[in-house]
Amino acid sequence: MREVKLFLGPQHPGMHGNYSVHMYVDGDIIKKARPMPGMLHRGFEKLMERRTWMGNLALIPRICVPEPDTNEMVYAMGIEALADIEVPERAHWIRMIILELARITSHIMSFGGIGGPTGLYTATYLGIALRDEILDVFERITGARVYHMYIVPGGVRKDLPENAEEDIERLMKIIEERLEELKELILENPMIHARIKDNIMLPAEVVWELGVTGIGMRTAVNKVNDLRKVKPYARYDQVEFDVPVASYSDGFTRVKTKYLEIHQSIRIIRQVFKKMPKEGSVRAQISTGNALKWKVPAGQVYTAVESTRGEYGYFIVSDGKKMPYRIAVRGASFPQGLLGIEKYLVGHRIDDASLWMDTMGVCSPEIDR
Amino acid sequence: MNSMNKIIDYLKETYEIKSVKSPMDMQFHFETEKKLVHSILGDLKSKGFKQLSLITAVDWIEENEFQLTYILFNWDNGIHAILNTRLDRDNPKFTTILPIFPGAEYYERDVHEFFGIEFKGNEKSFKPLFLEMWDELPPLRKDFDPQAFSDKTFPKMEYTTQFLTDVGGVNNEGS
Amino acid sequence: MVLNDKDMRSAWEKVENYFQGSSIWMKWYCTGCGAIELPPTLTSRFDMERLGMGPMATPRQADILLITGYLSFKTLRRVIYSYEQMQEPKYIVAFGSCTVNGGIYYDSYSVMNRLDFYLPVDLYIAGCMPRPEAILNGFKELKSMIKAGKAEGYKKYKENYEWYRKNQIHSLKEVYVKDEFHE
Repeated sequence: MREVKLFLGPQHPGMHGNYSVHMYVDGDIIKKARPMPGMLHRGFEKLMERRTWMGNLALIPRICVPEPDTNEMVYAMGIEALADIEVPERAHWIRMIILELARITSHIMSFGGIGGPTGLYTATYLGIALRDEILDVFERITGARVYHMYIVPGGVRKDLPENAEEDIERLMKIIEERLEELKELILENPMIHARIKDNIMLPAEVVWELGVTGIGMRTAVNKVNDLRKVKPYARYDQVEFDVPVASYSDGFTRVKTKYLEIHQSIRIIRQVFKKMPKEGSVRAQISTGNALKWKVPAGQVYTAVESTRGEYGYFIVSDGKKMPYRIAVRGASFPQGLLGIEKYLVGHRIDDASLWMDTMGVCSPEIDR
Repeated sequence: MNSMNKIIDYLKETYEIKSVKSPMDMQFHFETEKKLVHSILGDLKSKGFKQLSLITAVDWIEENEFQLTYILFNWDNGIHAILNTRLDRDNPKFTTILPIFPGAEYYERDVHEFFGIEFKGNEKSFKPLFLEMWDELPPLRKDFDPQAFSDKTFPKMEYTTQFLTDVGGVNNEGS
Repeated sequence: MVLNDKDMRSAWEKVENYFQGSSIWMKWYCTGCGAIELPPTLTSRFDMERLGMGPMATPRQADILLITGYLSFKTLRRVIYSYEQMQEPKYIVAFGSCTVNGGIYYDSYSVMNRLDFYLPVDLYIAGCMPRPEAILNGFKELKSMIKAGKAEGYKKYKENYEWYRKNQIHSLKEVYVKDEFHE
């Protein structure tokens, strides 16, 4: 039988973001699949060379749209390593609060977002409404809903407001209550079981071949391969938390792992409030004059954090002038979004293609930059 | 730190690596020659550095060279190993590392498209991936000016200024 | 009394505009980074459905195309292609400052600077990115524009088609791409 060419195109209700997959199908089975990135390409790596070191702070959250705070954290860590800046103690703990809240936001959006490919739109509506509560708290702390620009080289931009602890504790209770309802709707639903249980598997050899990190790696290899435990940054070695692992990676295990990780993030935030110092400065002074004309000493460094999709890193090259010489971005979903689709989607059905993008965590702006 | 020093000493004895630096904890950068890259990568892979994180390049236009960078990671002890090598800027050619790391296919396509470095053995890297119908210089080289290209291809909005002559007693010429 | 053709058509248009303004189907296409504020506008907190707007999957049955943010080379080709597939009457709303004069990517080699040259825009909403309250304000304005008969972008596109086409070819060199993978 002849093969038909189909576009799981950029305009599709089940597609996350602006990304396209071209498939050659025979009946219902995919014979050949090609990814097509590049629709969101803005040329960030060239634009970052034309703005000053502090001027880049307005540009970099826009590289990864669902979770912008990891960009600022990696940039700040790189500059602090090159310029030898010491970050005050209270700033480390506040950074952890912001990073964990961003992780909860992104996990809720993709946990509820399984409604798009499967047709369970109630889950999407509940998930987005719950995410809005967290964006309100972000607005009270940092001033903006989505792009915060709060983590700067040297600390954070401003201290927390006065009643931040009660506010965030109230938010944690709301999340725990409503997450139970969302969990019953998704994880105990026979429709979802029929779609993703024992389907879209990821064997362990494939993980090492592609270079996949994050949830896909931890549920296939059965090891705690999380950058917060293996190479801790910003006081993650002084809080206690578990990292869920498994040895059988099908779609259902990966979705359930997201639910378990949200509970661990709530546990971290509660411990941070007990352990952080009550007073202190939150920002170290980086230059004696104008911050826009500040120069970073020459050198090369690579920094990485654990985002919701895997290892997210920046490779920064500086030559001692006012603007960066070269910054290269390692998007966390580069392996699973490009090579994963070409090699491992063959043999599945058409409706599994968008489920792969949702459960493995493919975020298209960070592939295209 | 102990395991990092052991690996650095082993590499210094077996191959001739130069300028070893460590700007952050648990990370070391070193530079080597073109012909030793494949053997060093295979050796590091057998010692636990099984994940290829990134392949990228830097354009040093004053020295007339490209720097090609490979970043590897070891999950057992948390060390990043970063390998640099230099290529000639007028004729940048290199061999692919697909037999060692199969995941390098799309990273090499990315570097080819933005810098023009050719990878022999990776046939798909000559097809465009992010850009469509592009026949100018590769964009990330230092002699490509993005502002001039943007003004030429995409016209901008024109603003006119008209000063009100009677407001607040200020008298200006309109344009 | 016999109504001639012109009177009947203008009376019919008034009725059509009244009903069109109360039932607008939005095409489901997130073109840029401004699309992250569209799900909150659509769901139960800032409910968009009380204004009569809802999502629709295909371009053949949709009325409005939302350009949420910047447009790169590849996306602009596909947006033009699917705009010409929509049936009349159709409207375009542009979000954010990237559609006005390039925004924060003014010197990028891959992002267009001014949307007005390629497609006819009926309404701009300012912000980077606009909040859900600002989007709802914009849609209220669009509804009153449609009911008064002032949202005539699609007629402008038909009448000045050569001018729009000349601008598209000057920037993009070719709008319909046939062989994307060179196989």
